Amino acid sequence: MMWNDIFINIFEDGFFAAIAAIGFSSISNTPRRAYSTCALIAAVGHAIRYVLTQPELGGLHIIPASTVAAFAIGMFAVLFASRIKCPAEVCFFPALLPMIPGMYAYRTIEALLLCLYHTREEVFSHYFYLFAFNGLTCTFIILGMVIGATTPVFLLKKLSFTATR
Amino acid sequence: MSMPGDSTVLRQTAAFLAEYASLLLGCGGTCIRIEKNTKRMAEAFGVNLDIFIMPDHVTVSVWNTAQTHAEIAQRRTAHCGISFDLNTRLSQLSWKIADNRLGLPAAVEHFEGIKTTKPTGKWEVLILTSFANAAFCRLFGGDWFAMLIVFISTLTGYRLKQIMLEDGRDVRLTFLCASFFSASISAGGHIFHIGSTPELALGTSVLYLIPGVPYINAVSDMIYRHYLCAFSRFFDAAVLTACLSAGLCAGMLMLGLKWF
Repeated sequence: MMWNDIFINIFEDGFFAAIAAIGFSSISNTPRRAYSTCALIAAVGHAIRYVLTQPELGGLHIIPASTVAAFAIGMFAVLFASRIKCPAEVCFFPALLPMIPGMYAYRTIEALLLCLYHTREEVFSHYFYLFAFNGLTCTFIILGMVIGATTPVFLLKKLSFTATR
Repeated sequence: MSMPGDSTVLRQTAAFLAEYASLLLGCGGTCIRIEKNTKRMAEAFGVNLDIFIMPDHVTVSVWNTAQTHAEIAQRRTAHCGISFDLNTRLSQLSWKIADNRLGLPAAVEHFEGIKTTKPTGKWEVLILTSFANAAFCRLFGGDWFAMLIVFISTLTGYRLKQIMLEDGRDVRLTFLCASFFSASISAGGHIFHIGSTPELALGTSVLYLIPGVPYINAVSDMIYRHYLCAFSRFFDAAVLTACLSAGLCAGMLMLGLKWF
């Protein structure tokens, strides 16, 4: 892939992650002044994951890449929270959502249903493998994301809990 | 003049702190935040505090500094829905009380004002969520047709969710119906062969329903050893996820998608 394409993809990834973050901020009744910060943090976080998972760049598996990106999101959220006078979780939750492995979750359910519909052992085993593979990947991505994002709040406790002061 | 150690003042302080904690828990505050905020205010009021947070109730016991008399107040968790705006305002109030040494009457007045905070406009949320879910679809690799399908299915499904919640319907039934509705509409992409990624449209169309805040709060509570609350939040979220999955499957079954 050309560097030009990579930069366009990183920008596109960040742009759509920012739109998703603004939308999901509104669902949780986030103060409007936090929208732009959430969008920025989401764009940076998602772009980090994109870069880390590209074979030409980081080449990391999606689970550690999501954890590292979520950790970056958590750090930015803690640092920016005091600027907009909001708790850190206000910033990192909408920024994390665009990283949710929705397709893995969908394929898990799809494979589970196909397991139930097929009784022949080989076919059942194949779909059960897909169910386990997608389910485990999805679970560990979410776990890594949540732990990655909450760790900075835990590490920088003083800063995190004085943001609204 | 009433002193912090007076029985009446202790009772009023306990009642205020319990109401504050119940609202903060209801709007999606983590247990550690509830503990820190209430302790900060109790210190400013010149009393000692113990707080017991359960998934559905909050119990606060307020002691005079000599530890000779205590008043206990228990409140049911407020059912106000997730609101980071309320969370922010309540956290700001706790700092205002601590830094400006606001008395209890002034604190109660501020608190009553916060309780009347209006949520984000429903049409604004509807439009922004629909765009967000369409952007989600793009992030998963969906084409422009898939994004359009997701936008429409989210718009209709989310509107149904709003109507059902306004009517006071059960939240689990609401999630199931909204998911079924969105999945059925987005299945149109599969049935009529619209675009090159109809399966992505179908998979993404219900993701706006994923209860992300309770999942994240569950982990936060677990880190701070509030295991009961963590467990409760996780299972609440898991039940809602199961409902939205059931709605998605029912939609796919009803429309008899070809791989069944």
